[in-house]
Amino acid sequence: MELKIAALYSRGVPLSPGPRRSPTSGLFLGLVITLAAVVAYSVYITRQISGLRELQNNLVDRNRKDSLQLLRIQNEVNALALAMRDMLANDEPYPLTAWTAQFQRIRADLDDALRLEQKFAVSDRTPEQRQYLQASLSQFWDAVDRTFALARDGKEAEARTQIRISLQARQEALSSAVARLLVQNNESEEQEALHIRQIYDRVQRQVYLFLTATLIAILLTSLYLIRSNRQLFAQLAQLSEQRSELAQSLISTQESTLRHISRELHDEFGQVLTAIGSMLSRAGNQAPEGSVLRADLREVCEIAQGTLDKVRSLSQALHPVMLDEAGLESTLDWYLPVVERQTGIHISYEKSGTSFTVDGNAAIHVYRVLQEALNNIIRHAGAKEASVRLGFLAEGLELDVEDHGKGFVAQAGNPGMGLVAMRERAELLGGTIEFMKPSQGGTLVRLKVPREKLNSHAE
Amino acid sequence: MASASAFGPVNAFGVPASRASAPGFRLVDVTAPAGIQFQHNNGAYGGKLLPETLGSGCAFLDYDADGWQDILLINGMDWPGRQRERTTLKLYRNNRNGTFSDMTRSAGLDVEMYGMGVAVGDYNNDGYPDLLITCVGQNRLFKNTGKGTFVNVTKPSGLGGRQAFSTSALWFDFDRDGLLDLFVCNYVKWSPEHDVFCSLDGKRKSYCTPEAYRGETCWLFRNRGDGTFEDATATSGIFDSSSKSLGVAMLDYDRDGWPDLLVANDTQPNKLYRNQRNGTFKDVAVDAGIAFSAEGKARAGMGVDVGDFDNSGMPGVAITNFDNEMIGLFQASSSGNYTDIAVRSGVGLASKDKLGFGCLLLDADLDGFLDLAVVNGHIDDTVRNVRNVGYAQPPQLFLNNGKGIFRDVASELGGGFAQPKVGRGLAYGDFDRDGDLDLLVTCNHGPAYLYRNDQLAGNRSIRFRLMGTKSNRDAIGATVRIFHGGGSQSRLVKGGSSYLSQSELPVTFGVGKRDKIDRLLILWPSGRSEEYKDLAVGQVYQCVEGKGITALAGF
Repeated sequence: MELKIAALYSRGVPLSPGPRRSPTSGLFLGLVITLAAVVAYSVYITRQISGLRELQNNLVDRNRKDSLQLLRIQNEVNALALAMRDMLANDEPYPLTAWTAQFQRIRADLDDALRLEQKFAVSDRTPEQRQYLQASLSQFWDAVDRTFALARDGKEAEARTQIRISLQARQEALSSAVARLLVQNNESEEQEALHIRQIYDRVQRQVYLFLTATLIAILLTSLYLIRSNRQLFAQLAQLSEQRSELAQSLISTQESTLRHISRELHDEFGQVLTAIGSMLSRAGNQAPEGSVLRADLREVCEIAQGTLDKVRSLSQALHPVMLDEAGLESTLDWYLPVVERQTGIHISYEKSGTSFTVDGNAAIHVYRVLQEALNNIIRHAGAKEASVRLGFLAEGLELDVEDHGKGFVAQAGNPGMGLVAMRERAELLGGTIEFMKPSQGGTLVRLKVPREKLNSHAE
Repeated sequence: MASASAFGPVNAFGVPASRASAPGFRLVDVTAPAGIQFQHNNGAYGGKLLPETLGSGCAFLDYDADGWQDILLINGMDWPGRQRERTTLKLYRNNRNGTFSDMTRSAGLDVEMYGMGVAVGDYNNDGYPDLLITCVGQNRLFKNTGKGTFVNVTKPSGLGGRQAFSTSALWFDFDRDGLLDLFVCNYVKWSPEHDVFCSLDGKRKSYCTPEAYRGETCWLFRNRGDGTFEDATATSGIFDSSSKSLGVAMLDYDRDGWPDLLVANDTQPNKLYRNQRNGTFKDVAVDAGIAFSAEGKARAGMGVDVGDFDNSGMPGVAITNFDNEMIGLFQASSSGNYTDIAVRSGVGLASKDKLGFGCLLLDADLDGFLDLAVVNGHIDDTVRNVRNVGYAQPPQLFLNNGKGIFRDVASELGGGFAQPKVGRGLAYGDFDRDGDLDLLVTCNHGPAYLYRNDQLAGNRSIRFRLMGTKSNRDAIGATVRIFHGGGSQSRLVKGGSSYLSQSELPVTFGVGKRDKIDRLLILWPSGRSEEYKDLAVGQVYQCVEGKGITALAGF
């Protein structure tokens, strides 16, 4: 027996190879990196957008407003040109001074437009450029004032000459100055548009980059997760196998131990007790009839006989010797009526097929499964009837234990040790065990053992 | 559509029109029964000369001073060298029985001229209204002799010797000397020789918009009181060679008792000439917010009228514009700034596809709130080929609900009023003396229409005929204000307004179902103010400056 246990350990629950690394830390690292990337990217995008807004507000919008004012100025400068044309056309019955109010209106509007224009003008204009328009305009108005002064003095011809040689030239200069500013605004607007496009391009590139990096991170994390998962499953499967092996070894060890004890009890103690019995019987017969000794010897003899019966029945319970000596079939023929008698459950027993010998080592597991199944019926099913079918099939042995009681499969979520043991035994036999619900209710336990395992079952 | 027609007409909001309250009055086309037969001759022969598309105007006036409104319809003529027929303006005398008699010839007005508009005013304070007919070419001043005839005094009055393309005109006393002065709008510098080729569809010639022409200043003539006029255009600061003016209305924008002027310019900023009380004007339109549309665009202003449509005492302004430009409906704030409420009021969208000309603020349903009447019509019959806008367009009558919402009820008024027309002139007057305002409409190269207003809801009115003694006899420039039940309404006695036209001078207040008004306040142009209490409605009052008021039986 010591040997067997040693063998059990040598067969190898693998000595733990040290704690396997958990994937959590890796995943956590990945999460931190991803979050950091998102934060970094958000900061980047926010800065780009605020830069864009600034560009839009400070430059583009301002530029546009400035252009609008420049257009207004140009419109008024054109109105000046038209007014001067009308003045020179000399087809009105009015003196040149009649245009004073018209010029004043234009001047007021121009002043307003110029004030707004200077407010909106973008900062990249040089002081000279900024001064130029204002200076040109005030020179123009000085000339206008001089011209109207001449007209007021009645020097109409002179005033007209002034308009032609001075005012019109100045007006044209003003017009081209405004046009230049408009062109300049246009150019800077184009530049700003380019700048904005560049920002968009850059952001777009960054978006692609970020997306790619994120995708790669997701991909790597997923691969890592899959790998860890697979390793975990493999480990789990290995552990399960080891546990199964362990359980089976335990069962085998238990069986061989029980058989050994059973044989010792049966063979050694049985013979000793039998010998004691017959010796006591002989001694009793020699003792005088009616003597106290004779009565005592008879009593001791009966005790010895009782002990022998107990030893035998214990031996039988630990391991039916019958299995080894008379085979599975005969053991069942004996066992089932015993169960009927002990429990009061009616068991219908059927055999089918041509019987064949079942090796004792295998038979004990079949017997134990039957025993456990019947135990379950007795303890849990609350059934009054059970049926046992033993089939000797060409491909192997099939044992059905069926009842129509409450059934115990329902508790499958938390299988008892009995069910686990049944499974392990089935596996030890290289067979299968199924727990089914028959249509009439109750439980059907079906054990199938392939034929070749029944004769050459290795210890 | 089928389900909609089962419940009557459906308005833009999907609410059956029947659910909105009925207009409370109807218009009856009485043109033919009244004996008015008029056909406008624009001289069109195919040359598409610019003035052809813009005429002409009309007026309600009491030329014989009998208390019954007569009718004047201005006409054009064939172009020189293209004469086919002789056409003149028409003067119809009110026969006091719903009919009119053509007095043109006997009145001495059967004069051929290319007439555009008319301003009616008693410039010599003799009790009989005189006529200024604006023309393409030389304007004409006809003095009323008081004996049913008119005399052409253009030359002796000093208005002769001027060729222009004049449009609307009005009489007003800008220097408050008791004599009516004359303001004349001029459109553009145009002559048949300088007509420009314009085309809407790129093939055929069409009428031009004014961008193609140089502007022309408006004129201001001061009445010297001796039958002659002095050109005050330059000295008053009115002169502006960039103006392309079509409509003019007088108002007291700053409520200082001095008449100001609002000029609607076509494609140029409108002008608000503020009277500086020293014989000069200053244009404050830009500052007042009325020069441009809300988007800052100079629109194509055509007709203009001024009226206290929110009963705030501040004059609101309506200006008709080109199609796709909406009517400008300006509400005045107490600080003298104007806000265009056209869109908010419902007038904007309804007028967006219309080219409006004549426009009037009048209380058509006598509910105590000024309504807005507009006549529309495009300038070129080829417009249909290029835009989804009609040449003939339906007139509109927007009823003011008193809460700033105006609803066009023209199609509910009957009388064929809402039939599409090439409308130009528009004037109101109570020709049948029933206390409500009848409408006179002229059409370019078409007929004139007289629509009688019949009240259906029982709303009542009170009317005042003013006669100045110290002020000009027509009392033009007088402010009349009535107070009733906590509310008040105001009117200005004024000429001009609308487009090329003039309405009657008596003022009409709708008072709903009231029997009386609490108070009447008259501010005469001379500066005198008079107040009267507890006046019964349903009649007209003759108010003579400094002499009190007389109720006449009925209107």
